[in-house]
Amino acid sequence: MSIPEQIKFKPKITVFHCFNAFSDPSLVSNGNFEVKSVKMACSSLTREVFLLRAFESGADAVVVLVCPVGQCDYLQGNIRAARRVARMKKLVDEIGIDGKRLNIYNVTRGDKSAVAEIIQKTVSDLAVLGPNPAA
Amino acid sequence: MIVGEQKPLAEIKNIVAPYSKILILGCGTCVKTCFAGGEDEVATLASALRLSMKKDGREIKIDELTVERQCEDEFLRQAASNISGSEAVLSLACGAGVQMVADRFKKTPALPGVNTTFIGILEKQGLFTEKCLGCGDCVLDRFAGICPVTCCSKKLLNGPCGGSQNGKCEVNSDIECAWQNIIDRYKALGQMDRLTAYYPARDWRNSSAGGLRKLVREDHVI
Repeated sequence: MSIPEQIKFKPKITVFHCFNAFSDPSLVSNGNFEVKSVKMACSSLTREVFLLRAFESGADAVVVLVCPVGQCDYLQGNIRAARRVARMKKLVDEIGIDGKRLNIYNVTRGDKSAVAEIIQKTVSDLAVLGPNPAA
Repeated sequence: MIVGEQKPLAEIKNIVAPYSKILILGCGTCVKTCFAGGEDEVATLASALRLSMKKDGREIKIDELTVERQCEDEFLRQAASNISGSEAVLSLACGAGVQMVADRFKKTPALPGVNTTFIGILEKQGLFTEKCLGCGDCVLDRFAGICPVTCCSKKLLNGPCGGSQNGKCEVNSDIECAWQNIIDRYKALGQMDRLTAYYPARDWRNSSAGGLRKLVREDHVI
């Protein structure tokens, strides 16, 4: 995975993911960016405070990967996660570190290329956003 | 339950601005149920404040604690050591809880982090609706269990006003007409004759209009 040249720092991305949506061990850091993976039994376990604590721990961006709508093994976990992330995006804006650093994506089970694209997009977005100003 | 809503982060930041070491004190009863001031909200607010202050180049030490009920000594006492170790307490309880902290810990500023909104019910997950004004003279027996004092925008005891349309209030079309609901329920209960009863003006001295209210239970006072 390449990295835009204009990035002058090594982005840290924390990925919360339902292990039904994504459990590939290849989701690891490389020399250009660092990925921390937080596995959940269902995305309904996405708790607001953990998203913020990821930023407190130094993440430049936080990504939540959930199953597509209608495909949650526990019926509504992905919908609940989406609501919480939407609320937290506003709070991250209020905090002053830009809600664009927090995003949620629906991922079809086993779609490695989709996840790679999401990470690539996040790295590109961070080229514009810069490092987490509260890290 | 008492329903409340957490204040915006910017307002809370202004409130705690003079302090560098605070306790965020949650309440595990009403405001926990309405997602304003339980353990989760205390933790989330603490994290948000730390991040926001750090972004501004400021440091703040935040202690976090939630007691079962801030409005009772028995529970509030558990927070004594946390409170004595803080410059101020940001209470996420209702207004009663904040004032209880102020009253019991006179040397520590008690600050509100929640706007107390109303006495209400959990209509469905995530939706809270006002149901009681605490008027001090309950009339629910006369109105089929629906309170016109709270639910009618005009607080009419002798309704309906005639302004509602399709069961919605003319003051706000998002609100159900309380009197439409009262009539529907009278019908269901076979009590339509109650609609012809006349109710004289209330004595509002039992409400907050009569000044600060106290309730004394002599059998519990020692």
